[in-house]
Amino acid sequence: MLKRLLLVRGTEILLFALLAAIPLAARSPYALGLLTLLAIYGILLIGLDVTVGYLGQVNLGQAAFLGLGAYTAGILTTRWGVGIPMSLLAAGAVCTAIGALLALPALRLEGPQFALATLSFLALTTTTLTELEWLTNGSQGLSLVRPPLLGVTLTPRLFFWLCLALLGVVWVAMRNLLSSQWGRAFEALRDSPIATDAMGVGTYRHKVAAFAFGSGLGGVAGALYAFNFEYLQPQSYVYELTVVLLLGVVLGGRKSLWGAFVGATLVALLPNLLSNPALFRAFAVAGFAMALVAGVRGLVRRSTRPFQALAPVVAMGVLVLGSFLEKNTEDWRKGIFALMLFSVVVGLPEGLMGFAAKALARLFRVEPPSLPPAAALDEVLPAMTAGAGPLLEVRGLQRHFGGVRAVDGVDLTVRDGTIHGLIGPNGSGKSTLVNVVSGLYTPTAGEILLRGVPLPRGSLFKAAQAGVARTFQNLQLFSGMTALENVMVALRGAYRTPLPLVLAGLGRTEERRAQAQALALLELVGLGGEARTPVKDLTYGAQRFLEMARALARKPELLVLDEPAAGLAHPDVVRQVEVIRRIHARGLTIVLIEHHMDVVTELCDVVTVLDGGRVIAEGRPDQVKRHPRVIAAYLGHPGTEAGEAGPAEGAPAVS
Amino acid sequence: MPFSIVAQIAVSGALMGLVYALVAYGFQLTYATSKSINFGQGELVMVSAFVSLTLINTGLPYWAVVPLGLLFGALLGLVVERTAVRLALEQKSEGWILLSIIVGLFFFSAAENIWGRDDRPFPTPIPSAPIRILGVEVTGLEISVLVGVLAIMGIIEVFKRKTLMGKAFEAVSADSDAARLMGVSASHTVMLSYALSGLVAAVAGILVSPITTVGPTMASAMILKAFSVAVVAGLDSGFGVVLVGVVLGALEGLASLYIGSGWREAPGLVLLILALAVRPTGVFGKSVIRKV
Amino acid sequence: MLIVKDLHAGYGLSEVLVGTSLTVKAGTVVALIGANGAGKTTTMRAISGLITPTRGEVLLDGKPVQGLDASRVARLGLAHSPEGRKVFAPLSAEDNLLLGGFRWLPRYFGFRKKAAGDLARVYDLFPRLAERRHQLAGTLSGGEQQMLAIGRALMSRPKLMLLDEPSMGLAPVIVQEVFRTIRRLKAEGMTMLLVEQFARAALEVADHAYVMERGRIVVEGTPAELGRDERVLAAYLG
Repeated sequence: MLKRLLLVRGTEILLFALLAAIPLAARSPYALGLLTLLAIYGILLIGLDVTVGYLGQVNLGQAAFLGLGAYTAGILTTRWGVGIPMSLLAAGAVCTAIGALLALPALRLEGPQFALATLSFLALTTTTLTELEWLTNGSQGLSLVRPPLLGVTLTPRLFFWLCLALLGVVWVAMRNLLSSQWGRAFEALRDSPIATDAMGVGTYRHKVAAFAFGSGLGGVAGALYAFNFEYLQPQSYVYELTVVLLLGVVLGGRKSLWGAFVGATLVALLPNLLSNPALFRAFAVAGFAMALVAGVRGLVRRSTRPFQALAPVVAMGVLVLGSFLEKNTEDWRKGIFALMLFSVVVGLPEGLMGFAAKALARLFRVEPPSLPPAAALDEVLPAMTAGAGPLLEVRGLQRHFGGVRAVDGVDLTVRDGTIHGLIGPNGSGKSTLVNVVSGLYTPTAGEILLRGVPLPRGSLFKAAQAGVARTFQNLQLFSGMTALENVMVALRGAYRTPLPLVLAGLGRTEERRAQAQALALLELVGLGGEARTPVKDLTYGAQRFLEMARALARKPELLVLDEPAAGLAHPDVVRQVEVIRRIHARGLTIVLIEHHMDVVTELCDVVTVLDGGRVIAEGRPDQVKRHPRVIAAYLGHPGTEAGEAGPAEGAPAVS
Repeated sequence: MPFSIVAQIAVSGALMGLVYALVAYGFQLTYATSKSINFGQGELVMVSAFVSLTLINTGLPYWAVVPLGLLFGALLGLVVERTAVRLALEQKSEGWILLSIIVGLFFFSAAENIWGRDDRPFPTPIPSAPIRILGVEVTGLEISVLVGVLAIMGIIEVFKRKTLMGKAFEAVSADSDAARLMGVSASHTVMLSYALSGLVAAVAGILVSPITTVGPTMASAMILKAFSVAVVAGLDSGFGVVLVGVVLGALEGLASLYIGSGWREAPGLVLLILALAVRPTGVFGKSVIRKV
Repeated sequence: MLIVKDLHAGYGLSEVLVGTSLTVKAGTVVALIGANGAGKTTTMRAISGLITPTRGEVLLDGKPVQGLDASRVARLGLAHSPEGRKVFAPLSAEDNLLLGGFRWLPRYFGFRKKAAGDLARVYDLFPRLAERRHQLAGTLSGGEQQMLAIGRALMSRPKLMLLDEPSMGLAPVIVQEVFRTIRRLKAEGMTMLLVEQFARAALEVADHAYVMERGRIVVEGTPAELGRDERVLAAYLG
């Protein structure tokens, strides 16, 4: 505990203390300007890292928010004489709001389309800032004077300390956010958006909130930027700046506060680097040496592809040559950015801090804080008593894909408190059926009722909120997290602290309680000892059990298990039957898709058999097993291949 | 305002819109095979134009320069594929977005330093004197844009529909694993698509240069609108880009007429963000089915 | 024709195949049966190069092909009709078939004329496809798509065909037709490796069969031998 405090918090405090002390020692206004810029860029890059790092989307719009924030502050102070605190708040608020507005449409997109949307937004912002002359003074630029703060005139040194203090606040708030449910949600939605939705954590709303938050930070940085330079021009916030900011985040290392800081340092220092030939040469040679060493090591160990090892060497080689041959390095600024960025993105995809963090983690092993004891199962999964009526009713359900009728008119009633089996040959429509029920697909026709209430259609998130939890045939775990975190993401009703308090670091008690609850569920499925194990290190069987625990964290009314025993070894299958029994004993209703007939026979109260997207039989397992059409279509006794059903296809199974 | 002026501006705008459509078509070509696009496509347009201009200045006749310029564009496309796209595709990451921006940035910087930052005229034998058609004046250059854009898109569409290689192209786009099982090399197809996309960018550069002049920033505005066109039309509809491009071009002309010339860029950007709000896969795009 | 030795393969970190070995002799039909998740499809994918095996050998006609891209393996004469059919939905049925001949047809012009004979043969085998030759493959019924997938594989004039679950999701009547086709191809001397969940039907056409469990072969033999094996009988033949 002490070691952790010393190593992790200690270095952070040391960093800020050092930075704060520099102006006391060095009185050069030039150095002070650089430091101020570094703090501002730090805030800006932490904001950008939210989308680029945590959401994993290329965001080309951050320069626009810098500009919008700067102009908000500039206009407020020049026109209405608003002071610094209000201007900062207003800039943050305006950019958060605009960010949310942009994110609402833009974050329905992924990858290139999202990048394009943000790029267009940037261009639109520049146009607007230039053209709204009555407000912004257009391309002539807007001059402002830094107002005093609480009656104190801000000298450059005081202003730097203000910026640094704000960076500190943002840093701490961001860390609190990331170590809360929000941080886990970001991680989860990048690993598997489908599972994130299915666990009732709205992927879309988290993305929008994250983007808005990052934009708001951009706005705050913009306001500081305005007070720092005291002169604004629309042309400052263009594509090139956005690329430089991306360079900062990628070079520093994504998903890391330290990375954003290192990136900011680089971005702030880069122009000076380029104007000093000797320094630039030294820098280029150092970069080349690094690329060479890393490349040779990668090739020898065969850990990288040849291109990945060689391309950075070539790029940095070009940089070295250029640094000696070309006099006007400033003219080649963009080209130099390009070469550096290229080398980093190709050769060091996790950035400088990502690389350093790995090395440091090997040197200093810091134990995570210990876990609380597991909560009582009754607290996590209260025992339910079955009602008399049906829990789930499906009527006339159809789902077609193009010409293929995967589900073709299915009626199904699942009684409360039962285990309802769903069997049928591959492609008979079982998976499609549960995908429709759980909201992944919108039904082509038909009704789905949960306790007599229509279930939301075509939204995993809403179906999950309504009480349906599921596992996936092809595992959809959050592979970047530990077993415990996987369950914690899905915990229903565990996180009630409002966002501002979370940012202030007041969400820790509920975090402990959530850990205790998640631990109880892990113990239920027999994974109590694996809480801290990263998912990718779990055995395949353990991963299947973890998906069950995660689904249970939803405290669902209906639990859908999609081929939970697929690919399991026999002992695991036996254990799984036990676990399902234990879950069922809590009063949960379960729909079970399964191929192992013995599992079905052992567990299910009722079995429905599908073929060609239709129900061909239903009844107790022993009845169904003797049903002639079931034998013909599925179980495959002698004299097979009789029966009738339309052509159909379902989601393909992996074998 | 007299109708004839409005019509005149709309038509000129629409013809410019065809160039956006052509660049957007270049995005579709690569998106079809690899689900990736070159964010530095504007630099390809610009560098191809500069190279063609240099060739013309060495005394080569225009009609000999055109094929050389196109060849150069195709080569640049291959360079982008090799440096920016292939590794990311192999790793199934979206690194290509950043990398293609980076490669574009490098081309931009190189062009600035090799050819200077000034805009230069691009000589052409095509007459620039206006012809009156239905009360609207159209210049020979504008007609060359119309003919050039439709011709190159037509040729590529014929290639895609009528040759087995072209069908393979579509097969890779439909299901690249299944296409590999037919013996179609997915990586070669991706290379081919990038070469074609570079070629299309070069066509755009050569067609538009005589009108806009040649300079490092000649394509920076154009590329944004091409992005808008591609996203609004959807990344898989060749017909859609032409329609959206023409409409957008006309709208732009009208916007600068009615609101002010500074707002030229606005319609495309607003259209883009609106279209995304309504139909994320594009107006002519196909919706996707999520699989688990 | 095909020799697979000690094949290991998987997706990401999870290894699905842990040492699969099998042999397909020229002119024979070999069936690969086993439960869902046993690794049958992964075996097929590793043979045809869709995934790269982490260990082991695949010899096609004596030539090692492990580690080659699927397109190279296909051009050597291996046709893989994948699970879930994977027809090219936005292309017409005939275009799908023509693409099947990609490995030997001219790439640009004149391919239609050259393909005419082979096309006629496929249409003779599946008259339904002839009727629908201009229809988009995505709009065909499941059964027609399966015929198209088999026809497409045949168009490549393969030395060896891999058929993965040709009966998946099809009505029994169509399944019968698929098996009739397989028998007819067998009579014409086609070498085939067949993955099938209808174990009994598969064993009826096969000369030799392998049973897979958890990524390796556990039993092999002629269909008659397997029919006498207690365990196989209990687990797969009901």
